[in-house]
Amino acid sequence: MVTKALTETVRYLLIVVVSIWTLAPVAWMVSLSFKGPAEWYAPNLIPLQPIFDNYISLFIPTNPIGGSYFFTSITEPITKPLINSLIAAGLGTLFAVLVGFLAAYGVSRYRAGGTFIIFFTLLTRMLPGATFVAPLMVFYASIRFIDTYAGLILLYAAVTLTYAIWLMKGFIDEIPPEWEEAALLEGASPWTVLRKITIPLTKGGLAASALFIFILNWSEFLFALVISVTEVTTLPVQISKYVSAVGRMYGTMASLGLVATIPSLVLGYLIQKHLVTGFTFGRIR
Amino acid sequence: MPKLVVKNLRKMFGTFEALKDVSFQVEEKETLCLLGPSGCGKTTILRIIAGLEVPTSGEVFLDGVLVNDLPPQRRQIGLVFQDYAIFPHLSVFENIAYGLRVRKMSEAELVKKVRETASLVDVESILDLPSKKLGLSEMQRVAVGRSLALDPKLLLLDEPLSNIDAKARERMRTELGKLQKEIGIATVYVTHDQLEAMTLADRIAVMRNGLIEQIGTASEIYDNARTLFVANFIGSPPMNLMDCEVVYDGNRVILKSGDLALDVTEFAETVRGKGEGEELVLGIRPEDLSLDVQKTNPSAIEAKVQLVEPIGARSIYHLRIGGLTVLAKGYAMPDVNVGSNLWATFNKDKVHLFDKKTEEAVV
Amino acid sequence: MNTADRVTQWFRKAETFKKLSTLPVSLLLNFVLIVPFAIMIFLSFTRWEPLSGYDWWHASVAGVPRFIEAFGDVRLFWALVRTTIFVAVVLPLEFLLGLGMALLFLGDFRGKKAFTSVILYPMMMPWVVVGLGFYLMFQYFGPVNLLLLKPVLGEGGMVDWFTNPVLAFIVVMIADIWQWTPLMFLIIYAGLAAVPRRLVEAAEVLGASSVRILRTVRLPLIKSLAVVALIIRGLEAFKVFDIVYIMTGGGPGVFSTEVISLYVYKLSIVYNNTSYACAVSLMIMVGLALVTRLAIRPLEVKV
Repeated sequence: MVTKALTETVRYLLIVVVSIWTLAPVAWMVSLSFKGPAEWYAPNLIPLQPIFDNYISLFIPTNPIGGSYFFTSITEPITKPLINSLIAAGLGTLFAVLVGFLAAYGVSRYRAGGTFIIFFTLLTRMLPGATFVAPLMVFYASIRFIDTYAGLILLYAAVTLTYAIWLMKGFIDEIPPEWEEAALLEGASPWTVLRKITIPLTKGGLAASALFIFILNWSEFLFALVISVTEVTTLPVQISKYVSAVGRMYGTMASLGLVATIPSLVLGYLIQKHLVTGFTFGRIR
Repeated sequence: MPKLVVKNLRKMFGTFEALKDVSFQVEEKETLCLLGPSGCGKTTILRIIAGLEVPTSGEVFLDGVLVNDLPPQRRQIGLVFQDYAIFPHLSVFENIAYGLRVRKMSEAELVKKVRETASLVDVESILDLPSKKLGLSEMQRVAVGRSLALDPKLLLLDEPLSNIDAKARERMRTELGKLQKEIGIATVYVTHDQLEAMTLADRIAVMRNGLIEQIGTASEIYDNARTLFVANFIGSPPMNLMDCEVVYDGNRVILKSGDLALDVTEFAETVRGKGEGEELVLGIRPEDLSLDVQKTNPSAIEAKVQLVEPIGARSIYHLRIGGLTVLAKGYAMPDVNVGSNLWATFNKDKVHLFDKKTEEAVV
Repeated sequence: MNTADRVTQWFRKAETFKKLSTLPVSLLLNFVLIVPFAIMIFLSFTRWEPLSGYDWWHASVAGVPRFIEAFGDVRLFWALVRTTIFVAVVLPLEFLLGLGMALLFLGDFRGKKAFTSVILYPMMMPWVVVGLGFYLMFQYFGPVNLLLLKPVLGEGGMVDWFTNPVLAFIVVMIADIWQWTPLMFLIIYAGLAAVPRRLVEAAEVLGASSVRILRTVRLPLIKSLAVVALIIRGLEAFKVFDIVYIMTGGGPGVFSTEVISLYVYKLSIVYNNTSYACAVSLMIMVGLALVTRLAIRPLEVKV
């Protein structure tokens, strides 16, 4: 019995250690984001003089931070990148989910597309995005898609499409086809079956997939970096500009990072909740 | 000394009382069967004996030693699960050898022991097969073999035959019976099938809702059912049970049930404890009713046939006697059909009487 | 029956559905991905850059010189080597740590749900933010130096992480491990939890200790799952870009953290060496496809 209590304590200790390790970077960023420049090089976790200026200066870059002016090459507020991210990720996800769901259903129930779809799915997952950038630029330049919303959205949709199909096919597969077949026998068209039977049943899984894909698109960096020039810079791109900017604005970087992360965390939490409604991710079960 | 002693076991799962107060003993080489409907707690008892559950109160003794605090690893008990729990990633050989490897037996000895056990449960021919490819009865034999390889002190079987289809079940039953005789290990066997219990067990413990209603040999339980539940549970078709009243008519003691009146004066002493008008339940097994086309026996009662179920050489007759429906099992009488009249005689030696819920008065 | 009805009828048929369901997918993919892919193949056989002065479809096919160039490219070679080292270090560590965490979380304990949520969130953060976070943490006057090294090793123990090639590489690896160990944890934990309780109990009754059960029952049963997880994460790790770009940009010094994605990116966008970039990209794609195919084949048989 003594050993049991001992192992339990050790276990809790380890779990706490792991938790600290996991929370550390974000904790530090939170701390920095509320610190004035005087404290940026100090190791204390709790700011001695907390300020909101770091967040404010994200939107009003010329605002003095903590009472002192810091010169950087960043002059725009982050409202545009923020909105761009929302648009690109939102619409990209929308297309990916719509198109992907339809295709997933076709593949699952009617074996549409055959092995090509599956093969292509694996392929796009496997290849580094960077290998694709050169021809993409050439192509987009030719059709004047560079720095356009359409260009980015379509690209996002295409890239996350494979995830969408893979995930949603898994959810569709879990529904027994008997109900749909019964409806078909009664004369309903496949579209009606989709609308009235399949979608209501897979709602939880669909939502989870959509949220997951949104997170992917929201975080996407490489393609946004490549395609955007001034108009469609997304939040991740903006972050990279801050990092390479003159003048190490640690506080502002931290606040920006946090702002960029919050949607992901919120959605991630929502995904966990949706998943508990009876489905499991992919083929894990 | 008894091999296994279970004393006053009580088990709560949250607010649900799975076992109320269970006590019994199993002797060396004896097979005890825990018989009862689903949910009566029999599997829980098994798991407590094996050490997989901890009782809320009560004690378990193995070979006279209290084992409550002993983890399952150290109890030296063999347990065969209802779904056999064969390790799917191991071959048959490795499954049987599992416990031996835990004991760090030498390779040569191990191989010998596995082969011995394999031949005991008749799986020698499939020793090298991956266990995923086994059929149900093969899996069951491997499961039994796996437990026996360790020469356990006690063998526990949880509904071992319930997964097997009816045809193979009979064969497996005989095999199990033979195995038990051969090995002679103390066994506790859980089932809800009374036929299995009657054939395989030395003693049967009939359980309901966390309590043992009666323990005894098969014939004891069959002929001397001590509670209403036991009487009803054992026997196929089940015992006829009729509510009746005690009536004292001079010297005679009569049990009245609807239009039926049974003279039980010969058992007056046992019935004496019951006051006039007290309610009892009369029980008679279908095979203890003798049927005749004519009234050969003076105490025979008229019965009208409502349905005939032929089951081979015998038939089950659904009779209407004095307003009640009664089942009787008798020889097939070719001319008897629905609507015919028969005369039924109650075999008074085999009549059971129960208080509205508890005991019996008469054999 | 007029045309409108006929169209509606045709529209509702199952066969039509079959073809139509994947039509949007094909359109989208064709447009956005396949066309560029074709362009890539074409361009890799030419010598063209955006600065050449003429449109790319006028480029003349020059044969395979670009490919030969690639074989002589030392920088390419080292980028591949670095990326391979990266994967070779990060993958096993993530697996082992994930396994350790899964074992730690096996069974019930107070606050399990809360702790699990905490453990899992790194996966969900945008990669650039992870890079940012670690960039901030490993600054010379950052918490790692000030809170960990200084107290332990004194003033001289503080290290300039990002100016030392090896250390910078290590920081990048730490960031990746931090972010993706939870994924391995999730997969492995799900696998371990899915091991039927009966089997564990059967092993217990047969005398096996917890460690033994882990070794002989649990782990073998998650083997196929583990392999899948390793392959997936391995491929992803090979593609690493975001955190490297943010944290080191390929430096310090002469490309000491330049992974393959970064090199190809620079070729394509920074140096504008388009046709060469296309050739290299093509070779990498083919190479990866082959390697994955080879890696999967023996496993497919086992699984």
